[in-house]
Amino acid sequence: MARVKEYGNAELEEKLRDTNYYTTDSNPQFLEDVKKLSRTAANMCYQCGTCTGSCPSAPPRSSYRIRLFMRKGVLGLEQEALNDPDLWLCTTCYSCTDRCPRDLAPTDVIMAMRNLAFKVDIVPRNFLKTVQLIYNTGHGVPNNDVNRAARVKLGLPADPPTTHSYPEFIPGIQKIMDFYKMKENADRILAEESK
Amino acid sequence: MAETKEESRIGVFICHCGTNIAGSLSIEEVKNYAMTLDGVIVADEYQYMCSTPGQSKIIDAIKEHNLNGIVVAACSPRLHEPTFRTATEEGGLNKFRFEMANIRDQNSWVHMHDWEGATEKAKDQVLIAVAKARMLEDLQPKSVPVEHSALVLGGGVGGMQAALDLASAGIKTYLVEKAPPTVGGRMSQLDKTFPTLDCSQCILTPKMVDVGRHPPNIELKTYTEVEKVEGYIGNFTITLRKKGRGVLDPTEALERGIVGGGCNGCGDCAEVCPVIKPNPPFEMGMAPRKAIYIYHPQVMPPLQYTIDFDSCVKCGLCVEACGPEKRAIDLDSVDTFEEIRVGTCILAIGYDYIPIEQKMEWGYKQFDNVITGLEFERLICASGPTGGHLIRPSDGQTPMKVGFVLCAGSRDNTGGVNKPYCSRFCCMYSLKHAHQIMEKIPGAVPYIFYMDIRSFGKMYEEFYYRIQNEGAKFIRGRVANILEDPITKNLIVNAEDTLLGRPVSMEMDMVVLAAAVQPKPEAEKIRQMFGVSKSQDGWLLEAHPKLNPCGTTTAGIYLAGVCQGPKDIPDTVAQAEGAASAASIPIHTGEVQLEPYFAQCMDEICAGCGMCLQQCPYGALDLVEKNGRTVMEVTEAKCKGCGTCGGFCPGGAIKMQHFTSPQICAQIDAFLLKGEDN
Repeated sequence: MARVKEYGNAELEEKLRDTNYYTTDSNPQFLEDVKKLSRTAANMCYQCGTCTGSCPSAPPRSSYRIRLFMRKGVLGLEQEALNDPDLWLCTTCYSCTDRCPRDLAPTDVIMAMRNLAFKVDIVPRNFLKTVQLIYNTGHGVPNNDVNRAARVKLGLPADPPTTHSYPEFIPGIQKIMDFYKMKENADRILAEESK
Repeated sequence: MAETKEESRIGVFICHCGTNIAGSLSIEEVKNYAMTLDGVIVADEYQYMCSTPGQSKIIDAIKEHNLNGIVVAACSPRLHEPTFRTATEEGGLNKFRFEMANIRDQNSWVHMHDWEGATEKAKDQVLIAVAKARMLEDLQPKSVPVEHSALVLGGGVGGMQAALDLASAGIKTYLVEKAPPTVGGRMSQLDKTFPTLDCSQCILTPKMVDVGRHPPNIELKTYTEVEKVEGYIGNFTITLRKKGRGVLDPTEALERGIVGGGCNGCGDCAEVCPVIKPNPPFEMGMAPRKAIYIYHPQVMPPLQYTIDFDSCVKCGLCVEACGPEKRAIDLDSVDTFEEIRVGTCILAIGYDYIPIEQKMEWGYKQFDNVITGLEFERLICASGPTGGHLIRPSDGQTPMKVGFVLCAGSRDNTGGVNKPYCSRFCCMYSLKHAHQIMEKIPGAVPYIFYMDIRSFGKMYEEFYYRIQNEGAKFIRGRVANILEDPITKNLIVNAEDTLLGRPVSMEMDMVVLAAAVQPKPEAEKIRQMFGVSKSQDGWLLEAHPKLNPCGTTTAGIYLAGVCQGPKDIPDTVAQAEGAASAASIPIHTGEVQLEPYFAQCMDEICAGCGMCLQQCPYGALDLVEKNGRTVMEVTEAKCKGCGTCGGFCPGGAIKMQHFTSPQICAQIDAFLLKGEDN
């Protein structure tokens, strides 16, 4: 564990924070969980960086580096990986998975870490809002008036042939989400946050 | 200046070497310049002079223009002198009527961006070569017969393989091993070998047994050193010192008239021996050894004891225990000398670890639980001091977290004990160690601190993949220092995880240093005896790093194994087979041709002072009586043509063939006077 130095000054405390990686920081179970959820041999990553190089979300667009998440997974750095807001920047385009020379699926590792994070209530607000939207409309990004006008202009029906046209299928989606308590948790976390 | 005996008719041939030469200087200008030179009848150029059409140009020109000297301006004589000499000979000239101007390695490659300068220099080089070509004489190479036997120095896996190959090719081979009284070398200390995880002893012992069972072709001489080397390719005379081992084998006993006597390996002597010392060479000092000992159970020659006279107190208890029938022990045994004659020699003298304790930051020999890779091998080996149970030296506990420090002293340019080169097998044996820990100790985790994992060989990368999959942790970063918890004796390893970009500070139960390797201390002496050069890092120097990795610049001496540079077992065996093949060629040919560069004494000038005798590094000169005068005589086969005597002779009575004073003076004059007056 990082050694705590008592400076009695929050700014100094942060500045001089012990950034060493200690043996005790590692949770080997984290790697096992990631492997199980992602169904890929995350431990086999040899850190070539092809994933980051392929990533459309990577620098300069953001500080997101998928290679570092793979590394933290291998080292069992659970807290760091799950608390890093960059975890949520993956667009799941799967370019890294296509190109990984060790035939791993870094995208699925990220998804596994997101799942593990959600279990301990670490999840950005916009993702929770998306959960609510899917629950209520069957769409992460529901149709809106601008879209409807554009569709009509293109000669399409105003609503696509999804739950927008067939709202009778929404309860089916809700049943699945209820099974995983997604809506319930999203509502709870958002409510706690707004308190 | 000396007179030319005949009219010079010289052909100059300039090679483009693709763009290697033609890309940096004007071939056309050099060619036109050559035509203006005195004695040059024809000048020509071609894209690749060494190709068949290129050589044909030389052959045809000799016939067409009745040439008597050939100059080729191309690459280095080391590369293509033999090629062009052959062409000269095919054209009907004596092959020593050829001179080479190195306008590639010594010109176009160094002056790549100076077109004019390079062209001018090439002209000078051609001018100088033509000056010598005008003075060249016919010379006849000397043939000497080759002794039908070979010496292999070093009884490790490389030496054994070379000896077995030579013996199988029908050549009498002396396999000489210096220190331990057995063959086997480093490989017999190892537990398993990467990447196949074969038991090292299991794959080695058949070879050791073969070596012992190959009489009369292999004569095994263990506990024996080379004392003196004389002679030259085909005819080396080697003096061997057989160290007194204090114990007679049955044959030696019979020679002394003790019928049915000699050591049978019963071990009664070791039981009574009161002297107990650590066993440094084999068990890395981690197990006790008596003053009378057997090196390890699989020794070859088999079951023979040896007395370590450095620690023996000569109490005589062993003599009593051995009894009056066997009478195998001779406490007054002394070194004996023997001369052998061989045609070629293979050096396979192996390596040592660097004194890694001098790298204070890693704490070897300060902290109990820091060990080296070879110590790890003994600790994990079933026949080792712990019976194959890996334990912490400090408390005998089983380590659960083991750190491996790669590049411990390798790839380090700071001098001292550090080595700038890659030791080449540490990555792979550390991966193997990691596997062995995970295999033998459930739940144990190896942490490998590395800069690069160099898994270059066949099935090596796959082995790396396997070890990573088994759960070994890889941390990319060189270990900065190691500290010890004085109470638990655990080790704190400080490094940076350069992949994560942050420092790490990890507590380990044990740390294994993959220490760099270096040439053996005695390599220097052996090198000088055999006249072999060394590279800047001390390893014995091969004749060419790519095209002649087994040969040396001394004819008849070949290299095998790590003594030439770090290499793993497969590479060592491959090089040994290569060296054996190379060493058998002169023996099977039956004779070798020596370059006729030897010194010649001009008897009418020689004053017989004999001062040159001391100068000669090869002992090739003698004083003899000729026509009532004392003059010097050269043993041509021994002379290497170094020119020491020729340069030294106060009377100028020694002529160096192919490098005569008139030839060299003509070259100097040509350069200084630029052909103005000669």
